[in-house]
Amino acid sequence: MAQFILRHENSAELKQFVHINEFALKKNNSIRLNSFNDTCSEYLRFYYILDGKFEWVIKRESYTLYPTDLAIILPGEELYAEKGYLEIGSIYCLNLCLNTEDTGRKNPLGKWSSITSAELVSIRNILFHNSIPVLSRLQDAGNIFSQIRNELFNQEIGHVTRVNQLLDELIILVTRNLAQQNICQRDFPQAFLKLEEALRKDLSHHWTVEEMAALVGLGTTSFSDKVKSYSGFSPMIYLINIRISEAIKLLKKPDVNMTNIALDMGFYSSQHFATTFKKLTGYTPSQFRNNNI
Amino acid sequence: MPVKKNCIITIEIGTNAVRVVAFDLSGNTIATMKGSYPTFHSQPDYSEQDPEQIFITMLYVLKNLLNEHIHPQKIKVESICFSASMHSVLAIDKSGNPLGNAVIWADNRAKKEAQTLKNSAASKSIYTATGTPMHPMSPLFKIAWFKNNDKARFKQASKFIQLKTYIIQQLTGEYLIDYSLASATGLLNIHKIKWEPEAMLYAGINTGMLADLVPIFSSAGKLKKAYQNSLGINGDTKIIVGSSDGCLATLGAGVWDGRKATVTIEDSGAVRVIGKKVLNDKQQRFFNYLLTEDFYVSGGPTNSGGVIFEWFAKQFGDFKNPYDLEYAMDELIAVATKVSAGSEGLIFLPYLLGERAPIWDANARGVYFGINIKHERQHFIRAIIEGIIYEIYSIGKTLEEHCTFNSLSINGSFASIPLCAQIIADIFNKPVSISQHNYSVGLGAYLLSATEMGIYKTLNEAAKSIVLPEQYFPKKNLNSIYMSHFEIFEKLSVKLKDDFENVVKLQ
Repeated sequence: MAQFILRHENSAELKQFVHINEFALKKNNSIRLNSFNDTCSEYLRFYYILDGKFEWVIKRESYTLYPTDLAIILPGEELYAEKGYLEIGSIYCLNLCLNTEDTGRKNPLGKWSSITSAELVSIRNILFHNSIPVLSRLQDAGNIFSQIRNELFNQEIGHVTRVNQLLDELIILVTRNLAQQNICQRDFPQAFLKLEEALRKDLSHHWTVEEMAALVGLGTTSFSDKVKSYSGFSPMIYLINIRISEAIKLLKKPDVNMTNIALDMGFYSSQHFATTFKKLTGYTPSQFRNNNI
Repeated sequence: MPVKKNCIITIEIGTNAVRVVAFDLSGNTIATMKGSYPTFHSQPDYSEQDPEQIFITMLYVLKNLLNEHIHPQKIKVESICFSASMHSVLAIDKSGNPLGNAVIWADNRAKKEAQTLKNSAASKSIYTATGTPMHPMSPLFKIAWFKNNDKARFKQASKFIQLKTYIIQQLTGEYLIDYSLASATGLLNIHKIKWEPEAMLYAGINTGMLADLVPIFSSAGKLKKAYQNSLGINGDTKIIVGSSDGCLATLGAGVWDGRKATVTIEDSGAVRVIGKKVLNDKQQRFFNYLLTEDFYVSGGPTNSGGVIFEWFAKQFGDFKNPYDLEYAMDELIAVATKVSAGSEGLIFLPYLLGERAPIWDANARGVYFGINIKHERQHFIRAIIEGIIYEIYSIGKTLEEHCTFNSLSINGSFASIPLCAQIIADIFNKPVSISQHNYSVGLGAYLLSATEMGIYKTLNEAAKSIVLPEQYFPKKNLNSIYMSHFEIFEKLSVKLKDDFENVVKLQ
């Protein structure tokens, strides 16, 4: 396979892909000093090792990458070679532009992606709170890269759609692998405890079952079944119980405003909080507060 | 089907979950539901639970059970009886609000406080008075830890209570502790049934900082109006303080007359007997918890139960689907069944979590002993199972220095695995009957409530109503094989003490 470098600004192949800043296959046969002291970029970067051994520093930690490993560098994250130069070997590089205007919980990918907005929330959560920048032995990623290469060079009918599909596929593949790497899928109680900690850290967020399931690395159906048989509750009821127990602690502190309690604990409104609270405890939140101060 | 018009509800506040069971008056289960809550380990030795989360979980499960199974059939709730895990401590301020989380039995932060007292002159008299071994699990040491290490919380605390006390207080407004749970605090004089001044002195507290002592049959007062409304039960429903999970599991297994012992192996395990006599062990190896004013549940607890087998399954088991631990464990059991007794001379010491009874060595660690080149995966699997049961037997054997029992009633998810039940029968050389642990705690609480209502005259009579057929019998030739392995097991568990201590320093 010959090496190539495609850049959006000067390659005809990428004309129709505003979101692909660069796609390249680099074959490095000799060492050139200071050839890889690249630091941050605004792009979401993927590096897939075809051959060679690379010692890189990502987010100030050292990693050794071997063939079939994939490095994922988020926008703003640092990457450079330990020795200051790119070692001998071949790698695929892909730089994707993200929607920088959407800094909130919205779509970080562009319109080109056909990932649904609900799924994007989970993907975003996993990809962007990721602490593992290197996935080992991810041959499937290599296959995706060579398919993208073929599509771009052959330009057969439908190739624009295919390339975008392949990008979606890459993102889904990476997300699923990250989700599974973050937790060892043997110990459900431990994974559930991690989930509980994540929920408690961000109770004001309106969590969905999809988001919770993604954190445990399961699909929603098997996640709900597991949670039900382990905890006795559906995921949503389990979450509401945490919300109410935390709300109780705040109700016992006279200086915290009632509406703030409701919103900080993830209820839609103080009315929603009051109804839920009374249904379970028999007290309205203010009655409960008056009895306990 | 008989008409179920009245019921008794039991609520067990366990280590991982609350379990609510509704019984009809003859002791048949009408419905059962559970809800789990987490244990937080913010530091290695810490095990804490959120009292509000436990309360809300309990309330939700109780309400669901009532709405789905009791109210639609118009069944009247006669009484609600509580049980809970032992040894928890919760500090509350003068308005009754929790100061942080509850510290549960598995918490080992008070190691130093326990060691200091154990090595002091007061050790013997405090153990004789309280019947509780000197171990960080004991609330006595946890409170002393607060005094020494969390002065702010200690100073702000108006009371140190247990999780069950808190839950009942939320429902009725009373701060109560039953004799059973109190006798597991290390602070109760089990002969006088009064808080022990010498122990309180060590913890730095006085009687006013503990809940009021009451018998297990006592009423905890009326349910508050709001809860009567939200639960749909009226003020006539008796709220019974109840007992501890360990005592009630023993009662629910029908053990009473002293000729029988219970073997429980869940995550952790215990061997227990009931009697009128306190087992005053010179080496302080046993607990003696009060069931009623004149009956004691005595025995020894182990850390090394099913949790050790689960650890093995997680590391080395086959996982067909994500998180499918049950499949992995079933496969391991199937493999172990094919190996002959004694695992061809492979011996496993299961002390991955340190050990309580009978060696009481927090530094003890796991050991495979006697590996040779012909041992295969299946021998390692069987040796794990046998090692867990040798440890249970070593507790039983020390108990037999004080009392005799000629059959066993076993419960707990690990002990009731058929292979394990058979190995227990073979190693103890005694016939074995099985009762379900989760069920026996509830059943024990039912027997307690039913006795309180007058359905049974005494707890003794209530216990006798539980008839469990013996299902597993010892095979004589196997016992001698196991005993020759056990001899080595027992020697190693003591012989390695210094090296356990050395290896812990490296961990």
